Amino acid sequence: MTSVPQIQVFSVEGKSDSELPLPDVFKSPIRSDIVQTVHAGMAKNRRQAYAVSVKAGHQTSAESWGTGRAVARIPRVSGGGTHRAGQAAFGNMCRSGRMFAPTKVWRRWHVKINLNQKRFATASAIAASASQPLVLSRGHRISTTPSIPLVVASSSLPDLAKTRAAVALLKAVGAYGDVVKVTKSKKLRAGKGKLRGRRHRQRRGPLVIYDPATDGKLLSKAFRNIPGVETCPVTALNLLQLAPGGHLGRFVIWSSDAFKALDTIYGTSTSPSSTKKDYSLPSAQVTNADIGRLINSSEIQSVVRAVKGGAKTKRAGGQKKNPLKNKQVLLRLNPYAKGYAAAKLGQAKYKEGKPLRADATFHDVLGTA
Amino acid sequence: MSATVSSDLLWELTRSNSSFLVKRKTGGGVKLSRDPLNLRNVHSRKHSGTVNSKAIGIVPSGKGGISLLTKKSTGSTITQSYKPSKTSRKAYHQIANSTTKKGYRADLREDAIARASALIRSYRKPVKPTKESKPRGSKAKASAASAASADL
Repeated sequence: MTSVPQIQVFSVEGKSDSELPLPDVFKSPIRSDIVQTVHAGMAKNRRQAYAVSVKAGHQTSAESWGTGRAVARIPRVSGGGTHRAGQAAFGNMCRSGRMFAPTKVWRRWHVKINLNQKRFATASAIAASASQPLVLSRGHRISTTPSIPLVVASSSLPDLAKTRAAVALLKAVGAYGDVVKVTKSKKLRAGKGKLRGRRHRQRRGPLVIYDPATDGKLLSKAFRNIPGVETCPVTALNLLQLAPGGHLGRFVIWSSDAFKALDTIYGTSTSPSSTKKDYSLPSAQVTNADIGRLINSSEIQSVVRAVKGGAKTKRAGGQKKNPLKNKQVLLRLNPYAKGYAAAKLGQAKYKEGKPLRADATFHDVLGTA
Repeated sequence: MSATVSSDLLWELTRSNSSFLVKRKTGGGVKLSRDPLNLRNVHSRKHSGTVNSKAIGIVPSGKGGISLLTKKSTGSTITQSYKPSKTSRKAYHQIANSTTKKGYRADLREDAIARASALIRSYRKPVKPTKESKPRGSKAKASAASAASADL
């Protein structure tokens, strides 16, 4: 058995003061597919029913005119004296008509999720929150954070009542950069949501997880006015907070007591959970997911057959070289080229000058013929 | 050191969704990356800086210098800065000597030097000052003339 990794615990001043073993939840398999489906279901469970009015589009005594009037047989508003008279009504294609398949309040608003899946997803999200690359690729600013997972000593947390102290804590452990990112990200929401109590949208910052039994609840009041920062008791972890949008790798700040409590709440690899009935942690299907190492391991390499045909170079016949530009290739084709060049025969002028003129008899014969 | 996740798994988790990923419909749906540890800004397993335990990044530092980023075993980034020098070859040597020649991502050497070279080239001032464009067409000439008279 390999040694359990030790995680540094930081004081409120940001100094490392002790170490804690990594709880076994952090070794649970990271399954983004499970987290995404469970998140999609859980996000639906807070919906309120909505529907159009049952009467909408039907508050008129329209009747079809029948055939023979050279207009469509759609019901038309009766009477006269107003523009509405004679206009088509009821149909979903009509102005002021009923919508197609009017929405009803009886719809399946909520989704049942299997409890074991919910727990799997939570365990998965916790495990992902301890992976620095995943927290980075979720977009958290953690360049000044000394370690991931980030654990803060519980000793002085019960007294943390003021937001100023909470901000000082975030700054001390290098988590304030993420808060700055959140404050900068605040934008007006597009669309009607502005009128419905969702005026602004902003990123999510760090999630502070505490143990309500020992850390108390003052802390959540201290943190609640810092943009993007959320707090959550370790006994009631919520996937919507641990993986917002179904995206793994929330930046989590653990209190040391909450961190310790994880082993009792979720159980360890050898013992089941003490708070959840008949629950033990999911285990990974493969112990080593490093594919490169698996392929290159001596166990695999010893049973793999040799490569057929050997290594192949791209240019089997050697690279083509231009003999007019490459002297070595030229010499291979024409060994005389060396002497030719040395004697500068290419540059030599034709010594004899112009060819001799033929003598007079030649011209005479040519003229007489 | 936090719980280590295999880089193959990390790639599967981040290949379709990551804060560094930039998807564009143009160019056949290119997938680019904003990762500072990505030398070619291409979203791929080889060039990803978050996924690979070893990665090289080259970013501009102040006053025409360049910084070399590498990763520690803990995942945090180390920065080495190079001052602007007359010969850019020195910078290339320093980059190659401190990374690829020590067996640190030898496959990225060409990209690292190409990126450094592109950065250094971008600092160079143009030899000839760019010419002012002449106004073409009667309207443009007239507006240029009126602007000149307004200055006087």
